Amino acid sequence: MTICFKSKKRIALKLGLAGLTALFTACSASEAINVSGSSTVLPAVSLAADQYTIETGISVIVNAGGSGSGFNQLAEGQTQLGMMSRDITKSERAKFPDTNFTEIAIGIDAVVPSISSEIFEAGVQALSLAQIADIYAGRVDNWSKFGGPDRPIFAIDKEASRGTRQIFMAVVLGNPNAEAPGADLVTGSNNEEQTALTQSNAAIGMLSFAWLNKDVRGLSIILPTGEVVEPSLENIGNGTFPFIRDLTLVTRGDLEPPAQSFVDFLLSPKGQEGVEKSGYIKISE
Amino acid sequence: MSALVSPRSRQELRARDGVKIYCQLSAILSILIVGVILLTLVFQSGPVMFAENTGLFGTRWNPNEGVYGVIPMVFGSIFVMLIATLIAFPTGLMTAIYISETRSSKLRRLFKSTLEVLAGIPSIVYGLIGVAYLNRWVANIFDLQSGRVILTAGILLGIMILPTFLTLAEDAISAVPMRFRENAKSLGLYRHEVFGSAIFPQARNGIAGAGLLALGRALGETMAVMLVIGSLDRLPSPLFNPLSSGQTITSKLGREVGESAFGSIHFSALVFMSLILVVITITLTILSHYFLNRKHAHV
Repeated sequence: MTICFKSKKRIALKLGLAGLTALFTACSASEAINVSGSSTVLPAVSLAADQYTIETGISVIVNAGGSGSGFNQLAEGQTQLGMMSRDITKSERAKFPDTNFTEIAIGIDAVVPSISSEIFEAGVQALSLAQIADIYAGRVDNWSKFGGPDRPIFAIDKEASRGTRQIFMAVVLGNPNAEAPGADLVTGSNNEEQTALTQSNAAIGMLSFAWLNKDVRGLSIILPTGEVVEPSLENIGNGTFPFIRDLTLVTRGDLEPPAQSFVDFLLSPKGQEGVEKSGYIKISE
Repeated sequence: MSALVSPRSRQELRARDGVKIYCQLSAILSILIVGVILLTLVFQSGPVMFAENTGLFGTRWNPNEGVYGVIPMVFGSIFVMLIATLIAFPTGLMTAIYISETRSSKLRRLFKSTLEVLAGIPSIVYGLIGVAYLNRWVANIFDLQSGRVILTAGILLGIMILPTFLTLAEDAISAVPMRFRENAKSLGLYRHEVFGSAIFPQARNGIAGAGLLALGRALGETMAVMLVIGSLDRLPSPLFNPLSSGQTITSKLGREVGESAFGSIHFSALVFMSLILVVITITLTILSHYFLNRKHAHV
């Protein structure tokens, strides 16, 4: 009797273990595509990802974290695709000399110097690049200098590795990694920056075009020629707005078929629809 | 009879041996894990300690130029911890005295279980409350452009460590035997005198231990602090201005670990900061054990 009982127990145990193992292998074997990186590119990619999962049944996991983080995770093999809102830098490529990275543009965006709606409505609606540089370099610290109310300027910076920041600083201060001694606060993602801008009534920051709304207004740029360029889809599309950038997906040399087919999907009309819905401009074939 | 019993007891013995070995292995494993973590931190900090011109003990942090001054982050961690202490300790101690000395044991149990729920709330929840409300309140009260400042982080941390401190301090006070209270009362002392001269001296070490454990938690807290501190890698100016944005070691790690490549000097600098943090935390833990144990030796 006891022997019989024991063996039953063992069989149950073995069955249980086998079941668990099967469960784990099932989980890891399901061909999920992992994507991470820029919070700017994320909305477009996740819209496409939802559509792609409905059509193919392959799940796509999309995470934010910033362009720099997206590149590192891809390079270290934690993801199959990286999202970046800036180019890969030389030093980043130099860190992984044996890996071949390809950048694929999936849409066009602009970084827009953005201000709190209170300042915008008080009359500061356009600044020149030199004036913005003065703010971030810490040379000007009151809105009254630019025809606004007598209020200290609250300058919001972003984490150094963020694509949005690098484009912004490259245009404004001439160096993507310039330090900004005039900054009063550092944020990470577009969402975080948008919240900080909304909560303040005298702030300036940098946002992707798609994040502008009635509480956070985009500044027009006064070009050296005196022409004033509004941050509009039209001006971004024709390249007159000074902070244009490509939104890219980055792949490693060893790209696997499911990830490749997702990239193809993003470039197809259906995928590009997601890019447009997120407030960016489609890539023209 | 004995022939029947012995095989069973041998089996039992074998089982007992198995349990014993399992327990020993677990104990050794946990010590090993601590050792491996410490060794990893030390080895990974190597590159930045031996690299040149990193300005490791300076006040500028710019990975792109290879400058990794950790002082603003270390200062931020300690500053935030001090503010949290100033908020949590007096409040916690007063509440602990109130609960243990003046209320019934029924109410005491209710208080304690509520506190344990508070201590168990995940830190990200506190962080969200900090972003949604506390940060705005601080901005309104002090007329700031943004409430993401050192003070907000300190207040939030103070609230977070309060339950830990309170419940341990209350344990220490309640652990003082009843006869001391009765003797003191029978001498005709007032209630505050009973506490001040008979109970507090006995509970003092326990309270100190509770405080140090709570400090350890304050130092290690990441998510909540990261969301409200403003993440500015700069010393405040003037130095002790709690209304400027700052950065703690943990918030810095949370923000930057993802973007530093494993094995780079940048990564090594981050590890070096966590080594500083671990050393402080270990010191606090050892001190708190010393105080908590000394209490038992005296009573």
